[in-house]
Amino acid sequence: MARRPGSFTSVAQPVRSFWSRFAFALLLAGAFALMLLGKADILLVERFRTGVADVLAPVLEVLSRPAASVADTVAAARRLRDLRAENERLRVDNERLERWQHVARRLEAENKALRALTNFVPEPNVAFITARVIADAGGAFVRSAMINAGAEQGVRRGLAAVSGDGLVGGVVEVGGRHARILLITDLNSQIPVVVERTRDPAVLAGDNTRLPRLVYLPQNAQVLAGDRIVTSGHGGVFPPGLPIGVVTSIDEGAIKVMPYVDWNRLEYIRLLDYGLDGVVKPSGGQPPFSVMGPERSDQGRLLGLGAR
Amino acid sequence: MRMTASQRIDIWFRQATPIALTLLLAILSAVPIGVPGYTAVVPAYTAMAAFYWAVFRPDLQPPFALFLVGVLQDILVATPLGMTALSLMVVHGLAVSQRRAFLGKPFVLAWFGFVLIQALAAFVVWLLASILALRPMGPEPAVFQYLVTVTLFPVVAWAFVRIHRYVVR
Repeated sequence: MARRPGSFTSVAQPVRSFWSRFAFALLLAGAFALMLLGKADILLVERFRTGVADVLAPVLEVLSRPAASVADTVAAARRLRDLRAENERLRVDNERLERWQHVARRLEAENKALRALTNFVPEPNVAFITARVIADAGGAFVRSAMINAGAEQGVRRGLAAVSGDGLVGGVVEVGGRHARILLITDLNSQIPVVVERTRDPAVLAGDNTRLPRLVYLPQNAQVLAGDRIVTSGHGGVFPPGLPIGVVTSIDEGAIKVMPYVDWNRLEYIRLLDYGLDGVVKPSGGQPPFSVMGPERSDQGRLLGLGAR
Repeated sequence: MRMTASQRIDIWFRQATPIALTLLLAILSAVPIGVPGYTAVVPAYTAMAAFYWAVFRPDLQPPFALFLVGVLQDILVATPLGMTALSLMVVHGLAVSQRRAFLGKPFVLAWFGFVLIQALAAFVVWLLASILALRPMGPEPAVFQYLVTVTLFPVVAWAFVRIHRYVVR
């Protein structure tokens, strides 16, 4: 195609090559600028992050299902095989638990009576939000997980996240339909804890390895391998007494804790809402949480459980 | 020569395939698959894609689009915003500038090139992560991730070659 001098193409061509030559430099600078903006904790950047993640949450939810369903099918087949033995075991278990129930009922009544006698300040009611892990972001430098429940489901920053085994982490980012949980193994995770046996306070600090460290122990603390570590509730971040893990090794300066959570089977996470941020929740005439009482459907909200 | 609308759409889809594929890989790298220890060493799939298309079809990998994919991955994986984007830019830039060394040569040479370029990109990421965290990161996870990435590169590249040959053309 013949090109006339002064035509649009002859003007546009240098501009385009200028762009392609400097696009790269511009984008590199852009990346650095983004990193600085992100480091500065600007609200706009935070909003952008959660906004984009919110849009992508449904996509991740769909993609995370096949892997989970394969694992589920294998587990279901295995269960089918062991049905008879399982049944027998459950019957025995049931008998045992009914005895326990009897004991627990008696203790609960006794406890209630004694609390009334001593004017004990009761712990706040706890609400659950159960959600599915839709992305367990990894890479070399971050330990976090994304779940399919967000502000619309009542998730707030700072809620404690537990699995069946123990503390998983805390909610650090909340979008409309998703939330991000900083795992206790992340470099930025520091949780006030106590050694259950000796009641020594300490801080559990993640370092991106599978075994977080126990730091800021008192000088005279005597920690042994096998000691259970639970949250202390100091600082009002997490409720006290949530199990975290056991001390595995004690070298000079480094006390390693093995979390109870099975990171490889982190499928569902339960968020515990104790209303710890000082906000008084309308109790709406709910009866106080009862150990043996029937599970109220409005206390535990189940999300993403589908056919279960 | 005029093209029919369907032809044009067809070409558009074929040309958008590389970047769409990179986008898909960015999303997939955040999906939990339940393999023990996988999360810590998720290979840098997007870096493999960025390298492959930068060498073989740089015209179909506009840096800006790649940059956006990187930012998206940062958001999904919760790495500092811009970090993956920067590493992808490094891979893309170096691969484009050196692409003549790999074109028409045996695959092993391209693999070797990826090993070198990804080493630099991984080092840059480690350095930036350490600077942003204000303390040196343990290098082991980064090294493992790098090793997994370069080991898996031929497998993923094999898929890219198929897609390149039959879809992108």
